[in-house]
Amino acid sequence: MISKPSDDLSRRVFLRGAAGVALFATSGCEKIEDWLGMGPKEGPVVPPSGDGIDLVSHVLNRVTFGPDPSEYARVKALGDDEKSAVAAFLEEQLEPEEIEDKRAQRAVRRLEAIHAPLGELYEYKEAHLLEQLTRATLIRATRSKRQLFEVMAHFWSDHFNIDISKKECRWLKAADDREVIRKHAMGNFADLVKASSLSPAMLWYLDGRENRKSDESEKPNENYARELLELHTLGVGGGYTQEDVMEVARCLSGWTVRGKNRFFKGKVEFHADAHDDGAKIVLGNEIAAGGGEKDLDEVLEIVCSHPSTARYLGEKLCVRFISDEPSKESISEVANAFLSNNGDIKSTLRAVFATPEFLEGPRAQKLKRPFEFIVSALRGSRAKVESEMELVDYLIRMGHAPFQYPTPDGYPDVASPWTGTLLWRWHFAIALSRNDVGEDIEVEEERLIEKAGGVDGLAACLLGRVPSEEEKSAIERSGEPLALLMASPGFQWR
Amino acid sequence: MEMKGTGIISGNGDEQRTLVVVFLRGGADGLTLVPPIGNSDYYKVRPTLAVPEGDILKLGDANCGLNPAFSGLHDIYRDGGLTVASGIGSNDDTRSHFYAQDLMEHGGQLAGGWLGRFLRYREGRPPSALSAVALGKAMPEVLRGAPAATVMESLDTFTLGSGSGSTETLQTELGVLYGAEENILGPAARDTLQALDRVEKLRREDLPPENGAEYGDDSFSRGLRQTARLIRAQVGLEAVSLDLDGWDSHFAQETLITPLMTRLSEGLSAFHRDLGKLMKSVTVVVMTEFGRRVAENSSFGTDHGRGGTMLVMGGAERGNVLGKMPKLETGILVGPGDVPVETDYREILKPILTQHGAGKSMGEIFPES
Repeated sequence: MISKPSDDLSRRVFLRGAAGVALFATSGCEKIEDWLGMGPKEGPVVPPSGDGIDLVSHVLNRVTFGPDPSEYARVKALGDDEKSAVAAFLEEQLEPEEIEDKRAQRAVRRLEAIHAPLGELYEYKEAHLLEQLTRATLIRATRSKRQLFEVMAHFWSDHFNIDISKKECRWLKAADDREVIRKHAMGNFADLVKASSLSPAMLWYLDGRENRKSDESEKPNENYARELLELHTLGVGGGYTQEDVMEVARCLSGWTVRGKNRFFKGKVEFHADAHDDGAKIVLGNEIAAGGGEKDLDEVLEIVCSHPSTARYLGEKLCVRFISDEPSKESISEVANAFLSNNGDIKSTLRAVFATPEFLEGPRAQKLKRPFEFIVSALRGSRAKVESEMELVDYLIRMGHAPFQYPTPDGYPDVASPWTGTLLWRWHFAIALSRNDVGEDIEVEEERLIEKAGGVDGLAACLLGRVPSEEEKSAIERSGEPLALLMASPGFQWR
Repeated sequence: MEMKGTGIISGNGDEQRTLVVVFLRGGADGLTLVPPIGNSDYYKVRPTLAVPEGDILKLGDANCGLNPAFSGLHDIYRDGGLTVASGIGSNDDTRSHFYAQDLMEHGGQLAGGWLGRFLRYREGRPPSALSAVALGKAMPEVLRGAPAATVMESLDTFTLGSGSGSTETLQTELGVLYGAEENILGPAARDTLQALDRVEKLRREDLPPENGAEYGDDSFSRGLRQTARLIRAQVGLEAVSLDLDGWDSHFAQETLITPLMTRLSEGLSAFHRDLGKLMKSVTVVVMTEFGRRVAENSSFGTDHGRGGTMLVMGGAERGNVLGKMPKLETGILVGPGDVPVETDYREILKPILTQHGAGKSMGEIFPES
């Protein structure tokens, strides 16, 4: 029985008429906003009380897109002390499929285009697909309870970057996001690379589809082979040579994808007659002649199990979760875990979270990139977001719109390229707190303050620690606590 | 509070280079902007639209000249401050405004724009708060992907926050908090606050243009004036995008584009005069998505074509005429009778971007060429 729509339910949604009524009728004990995936669910708010950032806040900063005000209390209650609470939280996040996440899933389900089967993606306008994919990414980052999973999807989207505007990636990136990035985000790295190598969008993006060797005169297209080694697996300086790039290109020749003017558009195929079937040597390993499409598996086996790949992935994960300049010790611990667990991503993440540098190293010293800043502000202020497009405008101004990075290396994950974005961070913080971002985005500052037990409590929720005397005075003088806090230096770091 | 910047915008005499990209949207007719000289075919295929040879403003002994509406630009050319290029275009052959503009602004089949990539990949310190500004309503494609870009219709409407509340107070308090930051955000914040202060000061003072320059009251000229003010205020401006629309002259071309040419020439002349010596570190590039069909149509207009015109003003320009003015006889023309693209627009842009500090990043800026 629903007596009255909760505060979280905005009038706009309430007025969605027939759909709303139908949901009332079928939803039984669930609240309508659960059905619609609207608005964050509230738990009790107990702000952090340390002068510095404690372990719980630190882990929330690093492993999620930023806590909402009640998350700190929830995580703290998962154990008898900080350490056990954090351990329980990490284990919870490492098993995303066990986490109930209906609200976010329902909100995303309404974006119908990105769920279309491969060939049917072409029935949508490119701009519509990009809009829906971007909105889905923002919705999931903001509302999903599987936060670590979303952080990893974000990480792999950069690692296997595809610029959505290149050729047929306009239609196919939605499938790549679904079938490659999200499907394997916390699975096995080798499966992820395999899926990416045969992803229709990737075959377009890095010209794999043009890689043919039908006769002596034809030279294989090396673009994908090079990035596979340089960006996806071994990394620059990973010990491969130009010779290896050319040999890998030969191995992968013949794989292609059907274009949009053909039947079965988007279908990936192996053309034996366009494959170089001679013997090859990749990174010192002989690949016998006549392997045909199996050459791909042999190449991926060689590169995925290469120690350089473990080191490169170890470093990238440490840069994501630990520091812009992680120690050699941390990198090698993570690399070892990657190797001994055969590229199992969860085990590798466990190793990241077990390093002394992660647990005891400097806190709040990773700069939030613009996407992370925006999402953490929305989560921290419990913003009700009905349309994400105004957010995208801000992301474009700050040069961090999802799927729009121009080169295959993905958005940088260190601080220095992002320091020019402060103007628009401040602009966003002020607009968000004043409900000026757009009609469809709303925060209730007074209620936030009340729930947090006062302005200092709100500050502690957002900063992960009790505010300093300087911060308290600045907040008081500003007269706009939420705006100042979200714009303040303390909120730019995670 | 004493705020010391990083030198990015401190006005300490650093040579801050600014690249201004003017996009003529709609496909400006190259054969009218820069008509051929001594070409009898031109008069055959353009019986009503050809510029009479006696009216064409000569560019030395080149086989093309400037439209008489460009008298201001012609003076700049004679002083060595303008380069004129013909037969310029992209490899787009859809002749669609949308595709051709996107392709030219992106610099190929890429997500962001080439100006955005220039700012992201060029050598030296990272861009600052007001490194990139688009004068207009929306972010132009050419700047998409810049690490930070600001869209403003005018300096007068640009603020850190609107609505209720005292943005000024917030700004002051942010200055206090960031002033104590010892990491890289400290100097970045000081630069940002200084840029905001300088914009505020510009707004308050509203100084007249210098050197007797007079800008028109149209939005293009206003945009140029704002650009000149920002350059002079040393807010760290590196890249500016502004548009002059309305060049799609299928019908009654002359009455449509003559006023636009006048506006372009007068606006750029005022800008050139206003900035005076500062023009040595400012380059203005004028581009359009394609030129138009050689033969005029039955309604005294022209249809979408291929090769067009680019103009480059200021910076290191010494007054050049680039590209060949193609002969217009059949056999040379491409598709339904269009000026061929002799030079890819990126070949004009590359040396300019190098002057502006692109360094080794050209491969990232234009990966496809």
